[in-house]
Amino acid sequence: MRALWKVLAAMAIVVAAPLAAKGDPLPTLPPYAGAYQPQGMDERGLWMMVDEDERRLRDSKAVVSDPKLQSYLHDVVCRAVGAPRCDSVRIYVVRNAAFNASMAPNGMLVVQTGLLLRVRNEAELAAVLGHEFAHFELRHSLVGFKQKRSATDVMAWAGVAAAGAYTYGGTGAYNTVRTAQSVQNAAFGSIFAFSREQERQADLLSMAYLKASSYDPRCFADLWGRVMDEADATARGRRQRSTRYDRVAFFATHPATLERATYLRELAIAMDKSGEDGRARLDAAMVAWRPQLLADQIKLNDFEGTDYLLGELAGAQWTADLLFARGELYRSRGNPRDLVSAAGFYRAALEQEPSNADAYRGLGLAQMRSRDPAAADSLRRYLAMKPNAVDSAMISTLIQ
Amino acid sequence: MLLRLWVPILASVCLVASGSPATAQEKSGIKPGFVLPQRSARILLIRPTIKVGAQSTGGMFEPNADWTAQAKENLAVALAAAQTKLGNEILIADEPIGPAATTMADYRALFSVLADSVIRYQFFVGNRLPTKKRKDAFEWTMGPGVADLAKGTGADYALFLFNEDQYGSTGRKILQAFAAMAYVSVKSGEHKGFAGLVDLHTGDLVWLNADLAMGGDVRTPDGAQKRVSQLLKNFPGSSQSAAPASAAK
Amino acid sequence: MKRTSFSIFAAALLLHAAPGLASNTLIPSGVPVAVAKSPLTVTPDREWNKMGARPGRNSETWTIDGDGLNDVTFYGGIETGRTLFREVSKKAKPLPHFSATMLLTDLPTLFADSYSIALDTQLMTIDSVEPTAFLGQKGIRFAFTFSRLNEEVRRKGEAVAAIVDGKLYMITFEAPDVFYFQRDQPAYRAIVTAATIAR
Repeated sequence: MRALWKVLAAMAIVVAAPLAAKGDPLPTLPPYAGAYQPQGMDERGLWMMVDEDERRLRDSKAVVSDPKLQSYLHDVVCRAVGAPRCDSVRIYVVRNAAFNASMAPNGMLVVQTGLLLRVRNEAELAAVLGHEFAHFELRHSLVGFKQKRSATDVMAWAGVAAAGAYTYGGTGAYNTVRTAQSVQNAAFGSIFAFSREQERQADLLSMAYLKASSYDPRCFADLWGRVMDEADATARGRRQRSTRYDRVAFFATHPATLERATYLRELAIAMDKSGEDGRARLDAAMVAWRPQLLADQIKLNDFEGTDYLLGELAGAQWTADLLFARGELYRSRGNPRDLVSAAGFYRAALEQEPSNADAYRGLGLAQMRSRDPAAADSLRRYLAMKPNAVDSAMISTLIQ
Repeated sequence: MLLRLWVPILASVCLVASGSPATAQEKSGIKPGFVLPQRSARILLIRPTIKVGAQSTGGMFEPNADWTAQAKENLAVALAAAQTKLGNEILIADEPIGPAATTMADYRALFSVLADSVIRYQFFVGNRLPTKKRKDAFEWTMGPGVADLAKGTGADYALFLFNEDQYGSTGRKILQAFAAMAYVSVKSGEHKGFAGLVDLHTGDLVWLNADLAMGGDVRTPDGAQKRVSQLLKNFPGSSQSAAPASAAK
Repeated sequence: MKRTSFSIFAAALLLHAAPGLASNTLIPSGVPVAVAKSPLTVTPDREWNKMGARPGRNSETWTIDGDGLNDVTFYGGIETGRTLFREVSKKAKPLPHFSATMLLTDLPTLFADSYSIALDTQLMTIDSVEPTAFLGQKGIRFAFTFSRLNEEVRRKGEAVAAIVDGKLYMITFEAPDVFYFQRDQPAYRAIVTAATIAR
């Protein structure tokens, strides 16, 4: 068994891919190959799987079917990476409140609504979509797949060895099991370390796209700065330690966000290029969706993170939809002081948008939980403005 | 509340415990008293899910497009041949578009939940639901609305197929030998499939076969034939299905 | 045999969490039965199976064909500061807590948020809300629709709830939108109608 350990440990080290040195130069844009067809056994197999996944995704209930939004996103990809490149991309918007996007090797680009909620302008969105496109252009899924295969091999061996240790017992058994777990972890870690290197390469290429685009290249680092702060706020709210700074979280598939924000900012400064942020276009495209995405975010039971996010979206100007969302957030936590704050946010929302019936509903319910006699009046206004609301009968019984 | 991890029984598993009585499992069931009308059934084949690839030492599925294409072709030929022998006609459903695609997706999804439920709560003896324990009981349905899938085809039955093959790599086979010493069984390769026949007039599931360890190399025509005969083992109307019981194998 | 179980344990520990098996029991028709280790008693009008696995401390689940096809869950007195059911991950995905100071209108939100966090889905909507009498109290009835992550089955559901002596009592039903919801809704409603609470 001992000898096996040494072999396993050695294998785990071999598998671990070295991270590239910091300060890589920005790649020059490679000539685009055009309609690519998969080569070799692994790649053709991979495409077959994702083609099947795409077939399923197309009929999925989680996909937001809004042709206008889809065509807007396609335009953003084109503005980000250029016309011949973007032609091969199919975009699917998925209702998922987490901040993410992913691109499959066959050109299927999945954009989560949590990303759309968090980008403050079109340039930030373009940077993320360009990053995903870079994975596609660099054919990372295939390389990642081959890497993952050797790492999972090591894990299976370690699992069997640990089972053997339990079976044959003895004083060393506990240590052997511990060692097995750490070998498994090391192998797991190598999958993610490898993936971190891919992320860096994609970051670099996406910065090269930005350089050639009409956008301001500094936006990418701005976005990462906020994502980092939001994660901190979430951790604080859940009484956990921050995961930022230069430590690389063991399972993190992405470079430590601080390191990432730093090198992205350095690259942007080195480019010495300004550009548009396209905020007005993004706002126009998202206006129909933002209330829904805000509601999805509030359901996550992440008070601190959401409060931070709302503040960042507001910037200097709290709009009615953000004030309403903040009211809903505070009312859902429901401490006596939260209910008072919530009522204040609803009132502020109503000052800007007196026709917002749901703000009267929230105000009335917050007041009722605070035993404020003004509750009945607020709820009556809600019922008068929205007589066919799904909960009108229920609300009526509250004020009888 | 569906909270427990919905571990699909058919998902690939790296290591499985061997010899434990808790894993005792039946493989097929047929609705009591059901007889397929001889030599006249028109069966609509729902777009089958077929995946073929290799299994690496770590148990990861390596999809193989060539093997899958070969297998699809071989299985289709073998299936048509098997049903012609039984005297049934196999209709291949066109790929639906528009609202029909949604209906198809809904019923494929329902079938997978239904098949999962049959395996989990009837075939899996240790976990069987008391109302499913009664002698010869096999009461499962997709509801009469499933007939919508066959509008205009004149089909009497719908056949749902699922097939996944992973051929063990050399590394996997060596691991298997080591694992045996540690009293852990590592399966080298996974060959599983399930097939279900739904009566389009009532919506009832009249037959389900779920075999998690199947034979026959679907990459070759002969192997595909063997596989189809296994998938369709106890298929209503075939010679093996003389006794209409939820037969344990 | 002992060796085998140890190795199973090790394998499960390292590679897979094995789903726990607890035996399922028969609930006969027409016989009053106490549910969810609580003062809640119901009298079903057909046979049901009680699932061996409970979603949480004060709850239990009944089914006809398996919990993916029809699922009735009883919540028997959730106390202030408790979640509706066991948390999948307290750290990464904490569930909201019930509070006796909640209004009846807060209960659908509590339920929907708990589901959407636990099932990792944003596809969870409350379709209707109305007042009802439940356990001799003012209660709330609501209908909902949801789909789990990576599963393309749309499920519909219905729930009734009331707060009795500061504790939450609730009976929910859910089933695939295709066929099962409509077929089994009357049996669920019969359970709700005949529910009583010992006080």
